[in-house]
Amino acid sequence: MRARAGRTTAIGSAAALLMMLTACTGAAQSAALAEGAAPASGGTIVYAHQQEPPCIFGGWIEQAYISHQVLDSLVSRTADGEIVPWLAEKWQVSDDGLGYTLTLKDGVEFTDGTPVDAEAIADNFDYWAAGGNPTAAVWLDGFYESAEAIDPRTVVIRLSRPYTRFLENLSQAYFGIQSPHALQTRTEEENCEAPTGSGAFIVEEWNRGQDVVLVRNEDYTSWPADAEHAGPALVERIDWRFVTDATTRVAALQSGEADLIYDVPATSWAALEQAGYTLEKYVTPGRPQQISFNTVQGPFVDENVRRAFILALDREAIVSTVGQGVIPYEGNGAVSRATPGYSADAADAYTQDITRADRLLDEAGWTGRDADGYRTKGGETLEVLLPYGAGTIINADGVAILQAVQEQAKAVGFKLDLRPLSPAEHFSGEFSGADTHDLSVGYWTSVNAGILYINWRPSTPEKPNLSNSAFYDDPELERLILEANSESDRETQDALYRQAQEYIADRALSFGLYDRLSTLAVSPRLQGVRQEQSQGGPSFHDAHFID
Amino acid sequence: MLSAPVGALTVLWGAATATFFAQLALPGDRATTILNIRTGQAQARTPEELAPIIAQFGLDHPILVQYADYLGGLLRGDLGTSFQQFRPVRDIIAEQLGATLVLAVAGIAAAWILMVVWVTLTAGRTPRIRALGSGLDTLVAGLPHYWLGILLLLVFALHLGWFPVIGGSSPADLVLPALTLGIPLAGFMGQAVRTEFEHALEQPFVLSARMRGGSDLGIRLSHVLRHAVLPAITLTGWALGSAASGAVIVESVFSRPGIGQTLVAAVGSQDLPVVTGIVVLVALVYVIANLLVDVVYRLIDPRITA
Repeated sequence: MRARAGRTTAIGSAAALLMMLTACTGAAQSAALAEGAAPASGGTIVYAHQQEPPCIFGGWIEQAYISHQVLDSLVSRTADGEIVPWLAEKWQVSDDGLGYTLTLKDGVEFTDGTPVDAEAIADNFDYWAAGGNPTAAVWLDGFYESAEAIDPRTVVIRLSRPYTRFLENLSQAYFGIQSPHALQTRTEEENCEAPTGSGAFIVEEWNRGQDVVLVRNEDYTSWPADAEHAGPALVERIDWRFVTDATTRVAALQSGEADLIYDVPATSWAALEQAGYTLEKYVTPGRPQQISFNTVQGPFVDENVRRAFILALDREAIVSTVGQGVIPYEGNGAVSRATPGYSADAADAYTQDITRADRLLDEAGWTGRDADGYRTKGGETLEVLLPYGAGTIINADGVAILQAVQEQAKAVGFKLDLRPLSPAEHFSGEFSGADTHDLSVGYWTSVNAGILYINWRPSTPEKPNLSNSAFYDDPELERLILEANSESDRETQDALYRQAQEYIADRALSFGLYDRLSTLAVSPRLQGVRQEQSQGGPSFHDAHFID
Repeated sequence: MLSAPVGALTVLWGAATATFFAQLALPGDRATTILNIRTGQAQARTPEELAPIIAQFGLDHPILVQYADYLGGLLRGDLGTSFQQFRPVRDIIAEQLGATLVLAVAGIAAAWILMVVWVTLTAGRTPRIRALGSGLDTLVAGLPHYWLGILLLLVFALHLGWFPVIGGSSPADLVLPALTLGIPLAGFMGQAVRTEFEHALEQPFVLSARMRGGSDLGIRLSHVLRHAVLPAITLTGWALGSAASGAVIVESVFSRPGIGQTLVAAVGSQDLPVVTGIVVLVALVYVIANLLVDVVYRLIDPRITA
């Protein structure tokens, strides 16, 4: 099926180690491709991914990418943003927008033999809302009320307030449907390692530190409506390998050992494309890589100081220099250009204007200068702290971008302290509180502008929202977002979402830097790999080799 | 010899205790870390969100109680449960240990072969060859694992296609990782052995062997080397223990499973039970390696006594 490096030579003794240096063990070159061959069935796809998650089901994107292969969702999202059937065959929304009656496909079974029925769907909703998936829980938070099985194929989801794009959210793999029987009868460890769904693939084994082997679900009956072919997956197996190092991933693809790789470094992009690999790029909708200001403590409480900071930067020049044309610049600090209802006005609200930045800082009272040229007020230096998750949220290209921001902010007198955080520090919450930093950077993938509610809903003592990284508690902004979420007319809804983004831009609460990408480089031998359209992970149901 | 087990236990207890408290001293809150890593978000958390995790892992117990629980577990061979993987740490380590041991042993074997060949060929020759020999020792001893690994990978796996780029468990997969670990180690050992080797070459027994008509290579291998390798044996004991640190890089570059990668991931995610488990294990390997070095010393040079 696949040409790969010969591995016929065995080392009998340690002495052979030396011999190996001079002995050729076989060609590692891909065979010439047969032209015009028909799609073949069978074979193993070797996929090199960059990060190993702790579990195959959970709340973050690394887990969602892999659980997407194993668990079916209720609906699927197409490339043009349309919601099409998956486990749910059809649906009806009540006039008040509060009741979703879903009709399930007939005869679908989980791989443990239990039925994918209305009861199972209702159980999954309750499981998510109770924290079984913390990211699913924040999406449901404030909207979800109950789920009830009416008959085996009919389930009604009730909301406490209308959420027009509710179904769209369910296309994210966080909402992958698991067998309630498996959740109840198996241990946490078993469900973590091999969740039981009705998907195109089944977890065969997980060699920790190396790969997860997925095997075709021969009885697969529930492919999504946007699948290219009906029936079980075409390939037999997926070897989902974890290859942390980007150089190694690219080398593995070039040597024919991997059939496709994730997270293609910007520097390898052009060379791989020229060599005949298919390069796929998906700009994730949702919050882009953006910086938000701490609006309750420190110098950025003053709106003019926030404005001055953004005006000091030529963000487009920074991103195009570092990103080599692969990473898209994003001026919008609230949602990315791939998000429905995106506001270009909010994205264009600030272009570099050093004169104006200087004037705003003068007006804000930062008139003095210290020995290093940083601005001062009452003897205090205009020093601000930006901690960032190095290697987790911010990759090497991202660090270069932040360093350029630091350089340009210095020109108007900001002393920007960049503080790289180890994963432990980053996730520990040590730098998340309002009294720990002045600026924060990060993204949050999503399918629509509903992410605004998660990121900007006010935090109140009764209902804290610690995902609000600007700490900006504004009932007016919340009202706009809620109105948009519940608005049933798409055009009016988009206008409201745009208004919310402009509201954020007007008050300089956050600003955009670049769009988060999900990228793949695929061998020409392999066809039919799609990037699923909720978060951009690979989807292997239609993938097949040509030979 | 009676005190050896006591000493070994003290080392293990010290390693376990130091790691336990060092991890506690890390910034932030453990329950928050566990939840944030499960969601990929970095934010503060509400008490309601944290309560189930705190209860599950007993994080609300006094530190000394947690410490006592942990030590009690160690005595029973129970290393606890991973915060992130929901699995016993013992299983996690057992799964990964084999791959790292194979890598470490292969790396050390490669180092020995490279070192013996190189030192035998170059020590005690003309000044120019001697300088070349010791110069290369010094050079390779300082090669960073990451740089060397990527270089070997690009040249021998990608360019020449002799070895696979991403390994699994076949012997050919082991060659480049073993060399990455072994080449700098060969340099270290070469530096130590070369001096002894050249010193031994000047000893009377070498002269007498030569007068009996022994070939130069034969004398070097059978007489001189035996006297010169003692420092390398000590270094081997050290190398076995430190293989964990080299393995971290090597396993990552060559995408191999192993405790090195597992340790890095666990430190990154503050998975305290996994970190302490691996540290105690590495301490155990050090202790065993040191005992073995003592034994081997006595076999090679019977004059040494306890």
